[in-house]
Amino acid sequence: MLGFLTARQSGLDDPLRMRRAESTRRVLSLTLDPDRDVDRIHGNGINTIDIEAVEGRYMLSGGADGVIVIYDLENYSGKLQYTCKAVCTVGRSSRHVHKFSVETVQWYPFDTGMFVSSSFDKTMKVWDTETLKPAEVFQFEGNVYSHHLSPIARKHSLVAVGTNNPKIQLCDLKSGSRIHVLQGHRAEVLSVRWSPRYEHILATASADSKVNVWDVRRASGSLFTLDQHNGEKSKASAEAVNTAHNGRVNGLCFTSDGLYLLTTGTDDRMRLWNSASGENTLVNYGKVCNESRKKLQFAVSRGCSPDFVFVPCGSSVAVYALHTGELVTMLRGHYNNVDCCEFHQDHQELYSGGKDSNILAWVPVLRTADVEDELGCEASVGPHGHTGHPS
Amino acid sequence: MNRKRALISDTFNLKKRRKGSEKFGAGNDKDEPKDIKSTLEYLMTLFPRKLFNDTLPQVVLKHQLYSIHNDKTLVDKEVNKLRECGELLMFQLGFDSEAFGLVFTSDYKTKVLAGEEGKGTRTTVEKFLEKVLPSCTDLSFSKDKMLKVFLFTDSEITQLVKSGVLTVREAGSWWLSIPNSGKFTKYFIQGRKAVLGMVRKSKYGEVLQADLEERRTTSQVKFPLRYHVHDIVGAELVESIPTTSGTLLRFVDS
Repeated sequence: MLGFLTARQSGLDDPLRMRRAESTRRVLSLTLDPDRDVDRIHGNGINTIDIEAVEGRYMLSGGADGVIVIYDLENYSGKLQYTCKAVCTVGRSSRHVHKFSVETVQWYPFDTGMFVSSSFDKTMKVWDTETLKPAEVFQFEGNVYSHHLSPIARKHSLVAVGTNNPKIQLCDLKSGSRIHVLQGHRAEVLSVRWSPRYEHILATASADSKVNVWDVRRASGSLFTLDQHNGEKSKASAEAVNTAHNGRVNGLCFTSDGLYLLTTGTDDRMRLWNSASGENTLVNYGKVCNESRKKLQFAVSRGCSPDFVFVPCGSSVAVYALHTGELVTMLRGHYNNVDCCEFHQDHQELYSGGKDSNILAWVPVLRTADVEDELGCEASVGPHGHTGHPS
Repeated sequence: MNRKRALISDTFNLKKRRKGSEKFGAGNDKDEPKDIKSTLEYLMTLFPRKLFNDTLPQVVLKHQLYSIHNDKTLVDKEVNKLRECGELLMFQLGFDSEAFGLVFTSDYKTKVLAGEEGKGTRTTVEKFLEKVLPSCTDLSFSKDKMLKVFLFTDSEITQLVKSGVLTVREAGSWWLSIPNSGKFTKYFIQGRKAVLGMVRKSKYGEVLQADLEERRTTSQVKFPLRYHVHDIVGAELVESIPTTSGTLLRFVDS
């Protein structure tokens, strides 16, 4: 680390390099910190979490009981021991709460005044955060598995919705219309994701083992379908079919620069694709246990070198290096299956929620304070701050 | 490639290696070979040739390499390189869509030609081995390709299927295969089931690798036990955990 500091000081290295090195070091030391906790509000499993993109301060979570909770992640108390408190909840007593489990929640990408949630009660609700009342409700004919708003869209405000129906609906937030439909899948659509690089590119994953990439401006079908054998028909078990996985595809995640797309499937495999050409990069992650019948929410780090993927695997979270495919570590701490995880980009923290109704915060623990330093810290509040390490 | 500056990832050795972690306790008597080819050759020695009366070439499964080398992507790349330069052949074995068999090309050619001694299909098979194998690294061939690109006639294709070099995949397409490999697949699946059963029935579903290799095997297991151990570890049917008493194999419930 000192080497990086001197190189930056003398101008030998770009400042970004040291930032990357420190981010990577923090991600490699993620552990369950006894000092950090998240308020336990949900009575049932947690299906989805989302951290807002603007400040990274507020976190939304949706549970299997239909309850939606907003937490404040910032620690302004000055103490090391901190519990992320729930700021407000849409509980069972609210008139507008979802009837069945909430599958996806997402903050409006540009401010925290609004968020969108979709649930197995076949509705998608657009909520006003101030009053906690839905400003708009979209009805669908089947269970809504997943929805996504584009994080960079300026020219459109479309929400892509994946339901039981093989057709993908695009709902417009500005006008409330839902006439735009994308056809191409043959079975239920388990996951949809907009590209963080181009605002018109959408990737969708379905139970028919296919992943399609669409440009929503195009009138005819998808741009391309991802093929796991890269056109080498000889490896597939049947000639004609073009599949991304050998089972249902239930997880999609773009890397933060939008250049690569990760998909997970029930064939226990995770694949990394070049998002521009649709080519399988053939990185071998090994067996990534996946038994989910719904979508799987996983996360990719940003600003590290190399980047890491955090995938829920049974009751732990597996951390893989993105481009080499090696398993770095397994984060164990949950008592039951982990359903979702979200990476806090600026603080390099990971939040994961599961069926045990806990949200666990995995925080980089770089140095532990010694007992003597802690006593010394209580006596003098001064320049040592709160880490208690006078060196 | 000569780098002016080191990669950031070199500063953090991603696999946190404790000093001397490879020399844990009783296990690990061989050091890690860096070369894929030498690992392949070592695994080939585990293949029992006598069992098949020397009619089969030595077959190794691709995922057995994963049990010895840590980086799976690197193993895949190296195997593809060897296939590109024509030294290695890969086959779809049929019982699992992800299980690929690897055979050295020279071995394959000698055994196939030896098997064809005195048979009518010999010339066709020779023609196939000389024309198709060096130019094409595919696992399967479609009818179009066979007729137009390689200029085989229908009757020649029938002869190739009869001799065992091609196996039917679908109407109009064939897998490349090893003749007389049916026995191999049968014994392999039987043996794999038996060894997995041994691990599963142990107390707590786990057993030290050294202990397992010492055990007497039933008549179901015809291959050397080590061959099967590499197979189940590489296919991730058991979890391999390093402990102070050696490597522990724990059965994975899926």
